[in-house]
Amino acid sequence: MAREGDRGASGGAEDDPPIFNAENLQSNIKSIHYSRTFLSIIGGVIAGIWGFTGLTGFIFYFLVMAAASFGLAAKAKFSICTYFDSWNRIFLDGIFGGLMSFVLFWTFAYDIVHIF
Amino acid sequence: MAEDLVLDTAIRDWVLVPLSVVMVLIGVLRYFVSKLMRSHQAPDLKVVKEGQVILRARNLRAAAGFIPAKSFRSRKTYFTNEENGLLHVPKGQAQNAQAQMFSDPNLAMDMMKKNLSMIIPQTLTFAWVNFFFSGFVAAKIPFPLTQRFRGMLQNGIDLSTVDVSYVSSRSWYFLNLFGLRGLFSLILGEENAMDDTQRMMQMSGFGFDPSRSLSAEKDGIDIIQHEWALPKMEKRAEDALKKLLK
Repeated sequence: MAREGDRGASGGAEDDPPIFNAENLQSNIKSIHYSRTFLSIIGGVIAGIWGFTGLTGFIFYFLVMAAASFGLAAKAKFSICTYFDSWNRIFLDGIFGGLMSFVLFWTFAYDIVHIF
Repeated sequence: MAEDLVLDTAIRDWVLVPLSVVMVLIGVLRYFVSKLMRSHQAPDLKVVKEGQVILRARNLRAAAGFIPAKSFRSRKTYFTNEENGLLHVPKGQAQNAQAQMFSDPNLAMDMMKKNLSMIIPQTLTFAWVNFFFSGFVAAKIPFPLTQRFRGMLQNGIDLSTVDVSYVSSRSWYFLNLFGLRGLFSLILGEENAMDDTQRMMQMSGFGFDPSRSLSAEKDGIDIIQHEWALPKMEKRAEDALKKLLK
């Protein structure tokens, strides 16, 4: 899902502090954002169908986000500095944006399936 | 005490789903309408010139190590010279730029159009929801909330013993409002979601940009220490070759 294959963002033979190719960095960040949004929607539907309530649902959301972060880090072959400018981008960015979508689809699926 | 209310399936069919579908459609409609109504602003020559000057100054700062000291200094004076340096903006002019930006009719009209196109569909939908879908329990949110939220979430329901998890359709509307932003950014591509607050901030920031960024660039160039990278190049080549041969 994260099309990071050949899009290294930091330049190779530059001066000592790495300079980042802004376009590639932007595109990488966008693909993280898309995958997180998509995963929160799917996670919401799954949580609703399985009938998670209360705290369990939120824990499920953070589990899904953690799995997504791990998957993204693995796709970037764990060398974050070649693709992003800081670790926070992969791990923290967009988690709370996805929370609202998660809650919406969680409520929707839960209602349709369980209180039909 | 979680009594399980059994809710009519007709509520699912005729309230939840249509409301969500309507909000998605309105979002898509608003996106296309705003695309059609975007008036073409011919870029102002002065603004473009200043933007290019800023770009050049930034390149100069970033690549200072690649040119010898004397050429760096001559470029620096060209930019920051007190009399006719490109980046030096006399104080009087700086204030004018801001005032001009705000009284410019085109920009004001654009801002108003964008604001209206955001606010009107929201208001209309909210009124529609209130008129048609009030007075009954619409959905159950899967997580418990405290009693304080009762007034906010259950406004049409006058029973005080119903669990706070059973909410009215107004709260379903708000839930949709926030949750569909992510969906819109997926469908409509490139963050065309409802970032109205972001856009308003962008619009108000535009007026200040030219004069302030010019003086910021000027300060940046003044500060920079020139360090020519050529003497070190031999050492770096040697290191690189050693690494290759290892």
